[in-house]
Amino acid sequence: MTNPNRSMRPYFERVPLAERMLAMIAVKVELPPGQHALAVDRYEAVRKHIERPDSPLHDKVTCFYPQGSMAIRATIRARRREEGYDIDIVAELEVPRGMAPADVLDLLYDAINGPKGSRYHGMVERQTRCVTVYYADGMHLDVTPSVLLDEDDPRRSEIFHAKPEEPSSKHARKEMNSFAFCEAFNDNAPIDTDFAKAYRQLVWDRALLAKADAEVHPVPEHSLEEGGKSAKVVALQLLKRNRNISYQPRRRLRMPPSVMLSCLASELDLEGRSLIDCLDAVSANILAALETAERDNRLIDIRNPECEADCFTDRWPENRQAQQLYISDLREFRKKLARLTSGTLDLEQMKDLLQEMFGEQPAAEAINEYAKELGRTIRDGQRDHERSGRIKPVPAAAAAISSPSIARPHTFYGGRLDVHEDN
Amino acid sequence: MKTIEQQVQLMALLWPDFRTTHRGEASVRWCGELAALERIYLISIYYALPVLGVSEAIQFPYVRVLQPRLIPNPKAAEEAPLPHVYFDDDDVTHSILCLFDPAEKEWTHDDFIALTTVKWAADWLACYEGWRATGRWHGGGRHQGQSLQVAG
Repeated sequence: MTNPNRSMRPYFERVPLAERMLAMIAVKVELPPGQHALAVDRYEAVRKHIERPDSPLHDKVTCFYPQGSMAIRATIRARRREEGYDIDIVAELEVPRGMAPADVLDLLYDAINGPKGSRYHGMVERQTRCVTVYYADGMHLDVTPSVLLDEDDPRRSEIFHAKPEEPSSKHARKEMNSFAFCEAFNDNAPIDTDFAKAYRQLVWDRALLAKADAEVHPVPEHSLEEGGKSAKVVALQLLKRNRNISYQPRRRLRMPPSVMLSCLASELDLEGRSLIDCLDAVSANILAALETAERDNRLIDIRNPECEADCFTDRWPENRQAQQLYISDLREFRKKLARLTSGTLDLEQMKDLLQEMFGEQPAAEAINEYAKELGRTIRDGQRDHERSGRIKPVPAAAAAISSPSIARPHTFYGGRLDVHEDN
Repeated sequence: MKTIEQQVQLMALLWPDFRTTHRGEASVRWCGELAALERIYLISIYYALPVLGVSEAIQFPYVRVLQPRLIPNPKAAEEAPLPHVYFDDDDVTHSILCLFDPAEKEWTHDDFIALTTVKWAADWLACYEGWRATGRWHGGGRHQGQSLQVAG
């Protein structure tokens, strides 16, 4: 594991402070490298468990792949708890085409839950469209069973909708191709940018920080391994985090689906743009789509561009009220974003705003880390000043060279003084 | 020792937005805007040439923040109610910033204010913002009565 290129670090020193704060918060809410490795291990373990010799699905799993946030590297902490991640997986099964939706879901449930005393027994719950495996640390894996529809159109599949308490007449099949959607999304979210490299450094720093803490054992991979992360994906993570924070007190309400947000983000070509630009553009695009639907007196209808029948908004919004609520959230978000990036706030005002937008903990942590690093830079004299007075960190080697432009280090003092001044 | 004229000239060159609001034979005051991070502060710097018989400890450039006023935090985990200032008992928000250690002679009358004091004031403002946001002072320093080895 090599340290990512340090020379790219100055990216965050030549962009507004808000850009850096937003990126730091994104790193704090995203699936960290160690958890990513754990998710990959669990993904593999569940796959093997489903395919074990005494499983009802032995030899029946034709394909097993991540979908949703995991597949586009935008996984963030779960809505309902601060220490949990939802991992979405599709288990493509070879079962009779006419099998009832509830039977397919029940079969997968039985395969994962297994007999008493087996690995996942008692950790599993049958949902309407998937089977969830719960882990004690808050992570959970949603495994959605699917059946391939056309071998010549790989991963175009059917998934199953069957609420256990509803009569089978209400159960249904739903066409989808999340695999193709994720592939198209990733193709349109390039990571070879200054931002991506600078973000990778932040993730690296966080991994090192976590390594110092004996409770976690990070294995820096994922975005580290891949050379960073697209600003568009990071913007998406932040928008999802903001949505989660807004919906935390609205426990009974369904949230706007992540896949809808991803799809509307994917429409935009934002290569080489900053995180602030991406957040502005993506939130504007989502808002515009919702406002258009609202103006037309209808509910938003977003389809998978790779599979027209795959409707991303089939469960949300349930009604116009739900639609209007998120419109109002997004307008508020954009107002706050404009204020955050106005270049007029002090660190305390920025912290208050970031806490409102993304929750107390990650915002406070990001501000604390920044204040600490800033203090160290000043203490060590490793900084220069722009003509406005603004501080720009300089490498230790540059600070060590006596230069009239770099003020020498000094020691803050304090006490009492009797002073006299002429007017 | 630098003359008032030398100080004024270099201030005008390096910090042209600072206005001279008082100019005497042996003293000068500037007012100007300074941003440490993003927010802009209006500060004043008063400087007088050293006077014989007056303690050296009180003869240095006096920097105050005029706008926005400093906000004390009596509940801060560190440096309550205001960090690293010479407290003004009449108006604590008008206190002079403590930018260097006099015992270490980090600033002398041979120094240019434009190269030291202004930049140190920007450093102070940055740490002040960090202190307001976190309750902790990360810029280090010491206080009257603390031994020289103690650095925060």
